[in-house]
Amino acid sequence: MDFELSDEQKDVQKAAKEFAQGEFDPDLALELDQSGKFPEAIWKKAAKLGFFGMHYPEEFGGQGLGLFENLLVIEAFCRVDSGIGSALSTVDLGSEVILKFGSNKQKKQLLIPLSRGERRLGIAFAESEDSRDLTSISTIAEKRMDEYSVHGKKSFVLNASSADSFITLCKEPIEGWITLIVEREQEGVEDYPIQKMGLRMISSGDLLFKEVLVPLGNRIGQEGEGMAHVHHCHQAMGLKSTAQALGTIQGAFDRAMQYAKQREQFGRKLSQFQVIRHKLADMAVSVEVARWLTYKAGAAYDQERIDSGFLPITQLEVGRRLITVVDEALQIFGGYGYIAEQAIEHYFRDAWAIGVELGTEEEQKDLIAENMLEPFQ
Amino acid sequence: MFFELNEQQKEFQKRVRKTYEREVSPLVEEYERKEAFPVQLYPILGAEHLLCLRCPKEYGGPGLDKISECITVEELNRICVGIGASIMVQGGLATDPILHFGSEELKQKYLSPAVRGEKIGAFALTEPDAGSDASGIRTTAVRQGKGYRLNGPKTFITNGTICDFVTVAAYTNPTKRGTGINLFVVERRDPGFSVIKKLKKLGNHSSDTAELAFDDCDVPKERMLGEQEGGGLTQLEGTLKSGRLTYGARSTGVGQAAFEATLSYVKRTRRHGQPLARSQAIRFVMAEMAMSLETMRYMTYRGAWLFDQGLATMKDASVVKLFCSESVQSVVQKAMTIQKNAGLKMDNPVQRFLRDGRLSKIPEGTSEIQHLVIASGLGL
Repeated sequence: MDFELSDEQKDVQKAAKEFAQGEFDPDLALELDQSGKFPEAIWKKAAKLGFFGMHYPEEFGGQGLGLFENLLVIEAFCRVDSGIGSALSTVDLGSEVILKFGSNKQKKQLLIPLSRGERRLGIAFAESEDSRDLTSISTIAEKRMDEYSVHGKKSFVLNASSADSFITLCKEPIEGWITLIVEREQEGVEDYPIQKMGLRMISSGDLLFKEVLVPLGNRIGQEGEGMAHVHHCHQAMGLKSTAQALGTIQGAFDRAMQYAKQREQFGRKLSQFQVIRHKLADMAVSVEVARWLTYKAGAAYDQERIDSGFLPITQLEVGRRLITVVDEALQIFGGYGYIAEQAIEHYFRDAWAIGVELGTEEEQKDLIAENMLEPFQ
Repeated sequence: MFFELNEQQKEFQKRVRKTYEREVSPLVEEYERKEAFPVQLYPILGAEHLLCLRCPKEYGGPGLDKISECITVEELNRICVGIGASIMVQGGLATDPILHFGSEELKQKYLSPAVRGEKIGAFALTEPDAGSDASGIRTTAVRQGKGYRLNGPKTFITNGTICDFVTVAAYTNPTKRGTGINLFVVERRDPGFSVIKKLKKLGNHSSDTAELAFDDCDVPKERMLGEQEGGGLTQLEGTLKSGRLTYGARSTGVGQAAFEATLSYVKRTRRHGQPLARSQAIRFVMAEMAMSLETMRYMTYRGAWLFDQGLATMKDASVVKLFCSESVQSVVQKAMTIQKNAGLKMDNPVQRFLRDGRLSKIPEGTSEIQHLVIASGLGL
């Protein structure tokens, strides 16, 4: 057992922290949150410094590191700003599918520009508000001579109006479930933006595919593999959402600590009241729990020892801690916590949006129970 | 013991709900988006006798009791917490101290138009450096000729940018911490009164919240509430007690809205091929939401009944506020969680219920302050 980060990992963490502290200006964050704009300039800069795709092989623009290092970056970014951090951590959404199942040509075409900050990716799986419910998928890809004709509607697609390509889950009448890379600029792709409460810098929307013609070469992997791709993608995304939650927890805690040490009421600092001290202590417990669950799950992913029972345990517990910590942090700020100019207000909204990505209690408990009770099905 | 609203109260509830649904519901989305209060509502609600519910008939008010007021608060907050905030202040913090401690002249001058919705009131106690610690305010009222000269900053003031008058707490004797405070009625047009800025908030978007400043603001001494200097915070006790009960009704109202939205969602949604209402976990969640709401409602109306009997202590009021404002959190959170991605959409009211409901734990005594009040009510 080794609970220390390696020197290389510490360097990654330090670089991410310094970058975020230097670039994530609070006023800019407020402005981007309110206008619902993606942090373009910061994204480009972060890409130059190699913060994206560090887990891709070097030949595809990466640094041959693990997803774990990616999680460290996401944590450090979200700690400084939950909105900007989350926006940056979703630019390569679904790239793990390409990495694991894609052809060399697809990797070259997609992963290299993703790591350079030249392209963004999105995933289009779900067709209802429940991103894990794939029972009602009706998007069809009909195989023609040398292309598929894709028809259907996807819901709540992240990066819907900003991604250049979408990994799209479709049903082909003969081949079964497949995933296709659909380019935004293809004819027949339309997006309908959704205004949401949190993570406003990430565009969300419904995607409509009207007889979109996709070359055969854009199919990822083999026929009938679609659901395996989705499953793999959900694992990586679950981990990234957990890291976002961890950074958000830590960021809310940092802010509450700082405020409690500085704000005076009744002639004393808030940090001198027992109840406030205990709240801070509870939050410190949550930071530890969230961190070690996330790190354990992340390390297992890179070692290809994914325990399908442990991931939902992580997501469930980190998700609970996220809502509690952000709520308590806001409470410590009192009236100021409710005001938009204070940096804790958007943490509250963002936390709820990250929570949706992590999944509900029922859903995670279903998975944990299924894994314990019917492990071989 | 009667645990039912009587026939008259039920009729009142029905009428009030109908009125709010007709007059308020159509405005909610637009004014939430604009982050402004629809001021046109004031004369409308005034004509419906739905402002300043407990204001006596001699000043033109409906002269109703706390239970009736709670009925209106619950019904209005079921529709919109933000709009409810403004109406609550009008009938509570802004006018209640005038009713109890103002001269006959002040009552005629401010209460009658407030009841009719011709004048909007606000209340200013909180300052940037004095929230929970109300005695820590720094605004002063110094004797100056025939009146007082007010100086100081105020913040989180509901109706701040739209008010015609504001009931302000200031030190007439800053050397007497806590006791040297008085309440004054300041008019918007008084020189030295200014709105610094309107505040953007997590929720309650359709209520108007502002930062105010008083710079050499001269007020005639007749606008001080009460004859003597000092004792302003004590004058507020009855109003705060009443206000804490009102927060029970506010929390119950938004909780009810979240519950209704969730019940209808659960009934119409299928997930993983099954109706959501068939999921055991979801059925448990619904049962818990219903249980929380029933308890909150009973607590609120029992508190209101005690208040009407003249029996409610500050501890009673704090128990209601603390219990209801904490309980509503789990109600709105559950409502939000069930809808997953759909809950995040700005055009889905469920996220508004979460943001609006979150406020309850903060104003008119945070949850932490309520704990302290209850503990001292226990003789500790």
